[in-house]
Amino acid sequence: MAWLYVLGAAIVEVFWVIGLKYSDSVLDWLGTMIAIIFSFYFIIKACETLPTGTVYAVFTGSGASVIVLLDFLVFGEEFAIGKFLLLVLIITGVVGIKITTDDKETAARRRQEDGGY
Amino acid sequence: MAWVYLVIASFGEIFGVIFISLYVRKKTVGRLLLLILSFAGGFFFLSLAMQEIPLGTAYAIWTGLGAVGAVLVGILFFQESAGWKRLLFLSFIIAGAVGLKILE
Repeated sequence: MAWLYVLGAAIVEVFWVIGLKYSDSVLDWLGTMIAIIFSFYFIIKACETLPTGTVYAVFTGSGASVIVLLDFLVFGEEFAIGKFLLLVLIITGVVGIKITTDDKETAARRRQEDGGY
Repeated sequence: MAWVYLVIASFGEIFGVIFISLYVRKKTVGRLLLLILSFAGGFFFLSLAMQEIPLGTAYAIWTGLGAVGAVLVGILFFQESAGWKRLLFLSFIIAGAVGLKILE
């Protein structure tokens, strides 16, 4: 579930990045604000289970990937081999970190070790 | 001055991530407000920096510093893993994100 929250945050991020760029009415800005709130809500939910550093990096990488894919698929930007290789690098990293992160271990250990904060 | 703004913007992001970590441990209004203020401050200084530094460059450095900072802070203060697999895959993701922002 926590990984779905990260994905949700990255997808919603795309809306507010576009919103920040193109908003020119009160309604647009309102929608952009709501998207920002949702994307941070999802990040916080994900951080309840997963390490924050991981969540933030995956969120940033996925967001950048989705924006590049949109440029290519929707806005008809030219396909560039450099961008494609970077996408592959990000996807490799996300899949790798997903496979090697033990969600349950992380949450259990955090409860055990974290007295001080 | 724009480069100083950019560094401040990146720290806004890093502090934002610190306050996320603190907030999920104990949900107080104060921690939530600090979280919002840090990220909002980060965006504000990023927009100041972007008046002089090209958009792609500013965005790439801000993203990279913010994400690397978030990982380091997690390891140093919040008992997050520093295992080589985690660091390797995280560096893939961050390098990829920085690269995409530079190319954009």
